[in-house]
Amino acid sequence: MTILVTGGSGSGKSAFAEGLVPRLEAHGRIYLATMEATDGESRRRVMRHRAQREGLGMRTLERARDMDGAEIPEGSLVLLEDLPNWLAGEMFGGGNPQGMPQALCRLAGRCRHLIVVTGDVFADGERYDGETARYLQALAALNRRAAALADAVCEVVCGIPVPLKGKLP
Amino acid sequence: MKLYIGGAYQGQEELAQQENPGAEFFFGFHETIREVLARGGDPLAYTEAFLRGHPEAVVTANEVGCGLVPVRPEERAWREAAGRALCRVAAKSGAVTRVVCGIGTRLK
Repeated sequence: MTILVTGGSGSGKSAFAEGLVPRLEAHGRIYLATMEATDGESRRRVMRHRAQREGLGMRTLERARDMDGAEIPEGSLVLLEDLPNWLAGEMFGGGNPQGMPQALCRLAGRCRHLIVVTGDVFADGERYDGETARYLQALAALNRRAAALADAVCEVVCGIPVPLKGKLP
Repeated sequence: MKLYIGGAYQGQEELAQQENPGAEFFFGFHETIREVLARGGDPLAYTEAFLRGHPEAVVTANEVGCGLVPVRPEERAWREAAGRALCRVAAKSGAVTRVVCGIGTRLK
């Protein structure tokens, strides 16, 4: 099955998504990390998430672009974290942002289970222009596509899942 | 009256149209409030008149109140007024739906 987990920053969405992993049967579990750790802050973030994942028996695959090239054995569970970073990698790192919705569908087709984490950054009332506006529109479109594709969608608020679609495992 | 709210680009207009074919639509009520303020109008008086004049309307708007309080006073006034106006629209609405990632959740 495909699951989309959304929420604000610090909402506990990552921990919740990781909590879903042991509930799903799979041959091999892959953590698909999309953030490019380029500074101290992002490296600390990576370390915190790694510590959080210990004991889940996941293999980490770091990939900021071109998910078609990710090596995913048949029957795998993939936890993709997250769409905002993947989009940043494709948009600002010389990738192919237009191809992402299709790439996400293909990725879902190659996994036994796909859990996708995304972010809700759309209710601050700011008016952005140029590149930022294009990024936000592209992220929202990608989120909507992921939600349409997913069997289950939930929003996490203060660590509590609020179901939006389907039934979580 | 029906209200569809959500963050920017969440698909509230599309869902409103799908669920209410042929209705009288008012998209982007948060921007309407901005225009009212820009021409020196009273957003709450405008909203009350709107509610009386269009009791069967389907209204969409963005949630705009979940960021830091803006530094610029006119931005602060707009967010506050937009939030208050949408409370009035919601109070008069028979159905209020919040849209996240294109998926609607009925709040009322």
